[in-house]
Amino acid sequence: MSMSDKQRTGDGLGGFFEAARGHAPTPSPDLLARVLADAEATQQPARLPSTSEGLVVRLYRLLGGWPAMAGLATAALTGIWIGTALPEGLIGTAEAAYLVDITPEMAFDLAGGEF
Amino acid sequence: MPFDANDDVPDEALLVLFANGDSAAARALTRRLTPRVMAHAYRLLGNRAEAEDVAQEAMLRLWKQARDWRQGEAKVTTWLYRVVANLCIDRQRRTRGGSVALDAIPEPADGRASADETLQERARAEALQAALNDLPERQRQAVVLRHIEGLANPEIAEIMEITIEAVESLTSRGKRALSAALAGRQEELGYVDER
Repeated sequence: MSMSDKQRTGDGLGGFFEAARGHAPTPSPDLLARVLADAEATQQPARLPSTSEGLVVRLYRLLGGWPAMAGLATAALTGIWIGTALPEGLIGTAEAAYLVDITPEMAFDLAGGEF
Repeated sequence: MPFDANDDVPDEALLVLFANGDSAAARALTRRLTPRVMAHAYRLLGNRAEAEDVAQEAMLRLWKQARDWRQGEAKVTTWLYRVVANLCIDRQRRTRGGSVALDAIPEPADGRASADETLQERARAEALQAALNDLPERQRQAVVLRHIEGLANPEIAEIMEITIEAVESLTSRGKRALSAALAGRQEELGYVDER
């Protein structure tokens, strides 16, 4: 954009900008090598996944990490709680009257000896 | 894959390949982006050795960012220009004041230019760099992005995290200062017939 730039800027700077673009410093081979070495070092974990991780850790990652594990733990604890401490509020008084654990022999007697 | 077989592939796609362990993408990105990063750092710092350090650091940050790169949010080059500017500003605040190493300006690749023209172009580039070094940081960044890197104002606004009006104001003030600084040298630098 030499002439057009100069005309557009109208301040005589176009030639200076053009000269700067034409003399852009280029990276040395050493810099390119260092940048590429950094790239390869950063890539290394992606290319070679660690096999030293235990099965539990890999499974943990596979399931989705801590958010998934938190959900699983919550669901398990809720199940245990419902199973061991049935909340009375969920059962009305009328239904509670029938919620009596009886042995099969007593059930036979209550049924008048007929099953 | 050949070193430069990815010329048509966008930077963002190459970065995804890089994050997946593709070594050809690493080479292509290095070859494509390091010169731009290096040149931009040089123009902000005026010192080749420091510009190389900044370029390496900026590229290292890109490599580390690759796995978390969010597609569609920003162009890789926009992100890099911002990182380079921040690294340069940090350095300048630590060391205060850049310097123009006269032997740092590279010889042009074009062998057709006469020796006189080459020397004159070098002198112009050096004079501009010296004047740029005297500008306030933000004015220098805006002028370099607009008039040397050739970016549009909206992209510069994104890089500098300011409004387009602020970009226009910075470039305008920066160019006025450059014109004043270089006015006395135009004849010396071969602009007699062009004015």
